[in-house]
Amino acid sequence: MKRKLLSVLFAVVICFSAAIPVCAEESLSRLVDNADLLTDSEKTSLLLLLDNISEKQKMDIVVVTTDSLEGYTPQEYADDFFDYNGYGYGENRDGILLLISMEDNDWYISTTGYGITAVTDAGREYMSQQFLSYLSDGDYAEAFSTYAQLCDEFIAMAKAGEPFDVDNLPKEPFKIWFNVLIALGIGFVFAIIVVLYMKSKLKSVRFQPAASSYVRNGSMNITQSGDFFLYSHLDRRAKPKDNDSGGSSTHTSSSGSTHGGGGGKF
Amino acid sequence: MPVLQEYKCPCCGGGINFDSSTQKMKCPYCDTEFEMETLKAYDDALKNEQADDMNWETSAGGDWQEGETDGLRTYVCKSCGGEIVGDETTGATSCPFCGNPVVMMGQFSGALKPDYVIPFKLDKKAAKEALKKHYQGKRLLPKVFKDENHIDEIKGVYVPFWLFDADADANIRYKATRVRTWSDSDYDYTETSYFSVLRGGSIGFERVPVDGSSKMADDLMESIEPFNFSDAVDFQTAYLSGYLADKYDVNAEQSINRANERIKKSTADAFASTVQGYSTVVPESTSICLHNGKAKYALYPVWLLNTTWKGEKYTFAMNGQTGKLVGDLPTDKSAFRKWLFGLWGIASAVTFGLTYLWWLL
Repeated sequence: MKRKLLSVLFAVVICFSAAIPVCAEESLSRLVDNADLLTDSEKTSLLLLLDNISEKQKMDIVVVTTDSLEGYTPQEYADDFFDYNGYGYGENRDGILLLISMEDNDWYISTTGYGITAVTDAGREYMSQQFLSYLSDGDYAEAFSTYAQLCDEFIAMAKAGEPFDVDNLPKEPFKIWFNVLIALGIGFVFAIIVVLYMKSKLKSVRFQPAASSYVRNGSMNITQSGDFFLYSHLDRRAKPKDNDSGGSSTHTSSSGSTHGGGGGKF
Repeated sequence: MPVLQEYKCPCCGGGINFDSSTQKMKCPYCDTEFEMETLKAYDDALKNEQADDMNWETSAGGDWQEGETDGLRTYVCKSCGGEIVGDETTGATSCPFCGNPVVMMGQFSGALKPDYVIPFKLDKKAAKEALKKHYQGKRLLPKVFKDENHIDEIKGVYVPFWLFDADADANIRYKATRVRTWSDSDYDYTETSYFSVLRGGSIGFERVPVDGSSKMADDLMESIEPFNFSDAVDFQTAYLSGYLADKYDVNAEQSINRANERIKKSTADAFASTVQGYSTVVPESTSICLHNGKAKYALYPVWLLNTTWKGEKYTFAMNGQTGKLVGDLPTDKSAFRKWLFGLWGIASAVTFGLTYLWWLL
């Protein structure tokens, strides 16, 4: 009896010890390129980058590509992929996962644990603006490494207590040519106004439109005066909805864990 | 034949001028000054003498073809006997031979007699100074225009003006709007209220001047307005001595339209300024009636300066009373380009710097 109990215990321990390594980081790579979008060398360097950042920030930064969502929505697929493949650091399973589905050109970022704090809705919007153009161009390696670096930056900011959010977004890069054009335009308008003013000073001969200097003093006499209200017209315009107070919206996945995230098409 | 008048110095017999700085008649030869009042009596006395001079005749008859002398009048200078040719509006000039100032009395007698004259307050030197000042601060004026510039001609002219007095009765209806905006948490509201505004009343104008000489550009004469009528005096021909003068050749009826236009505009402006508290005011119907219209004839003092540059004639006019000088000037095209591109470059660089700073913040 005691022997049997031990063997059961042993079996349980075996089971757990067998199960745990599967859930731990070694078994599933942080880069799962099922759609085969990257070359081998790209895979190696991207994985190195993902691993480096993940270990540094104690958070799993994951990239998943797939040819088919197998009937799930991108959100369900991404959340489940994260939950059932055992990603996530620590108790809260901190991590960020980027899913690319070639089926309908979907992208989706699923955040878990501290990832929800680090990547807010506004932050995710900003992040997607940075890598979407690469995705559309088919430059997947660049898109993924941009994503990884932005995750690194976002987590660092969140840890410093200032996560990127509605009123605290990273700066867009300075658009030199755009600003040069704007400056030339404003400069020209300014210059033409000044020069035309200088030119107008050369002209001093013009007809006097009125005779106001010849009004007899105190001769103006208003005998009839009336202001009558006719009608009024009320124009009502809805205010632009701007109740985005920042932070991250969350939902619960099929496994019961809480995720943040969002996505779109590329 | 018109009669010529010269004012002779009772002291030395030289031709005497009106002196703008002392506002008296002054003999340039012996510096004797005469009060205008004295000359008024003298003026009257001279008029009686005119009878003697009525028999002057144009010399060498038959030389002029018919129509040729239509615009010309000839006078004989009383000092030297030289023949002075003026056009039919010339009222005062100087003899081209002896330089003595002469006044054509016939041009200002009877119905042609001006009611008022504003005597010159500023002299030739002031006009030159004013022109120099006129050139200043104008960056697009060609430099050579300033440097090479010499005044071809400078003359003090009494310009005939018609002065119109009128009362205007106005009845104006405006459509006005008032806009009120406010907002609650969901909507921005804009309420536009429409009003019909009525204004009726009267306003009086006195001595609205209209240039009565076709020789003077109307816009040039209007540009040196206003003249201050408080300096005006009853007309005496003696004031013209030493200056040029024209009699009117545009009569009051022809001039009245211009005065009406200006009075109408001023009336409309004055009434519109009483409609206040609205966002927009648009006149819907305007009726302005003028009555009690009276016209007076006056001579106003104007300094005219002519210069020529690159074959173009530039005319400047200075108000002989207030010193206001006007005249269009040429534009230096290369300076125009230099300023345009220079400013464009500088302004663009500054704007670019500012956008960069703004981005850094």
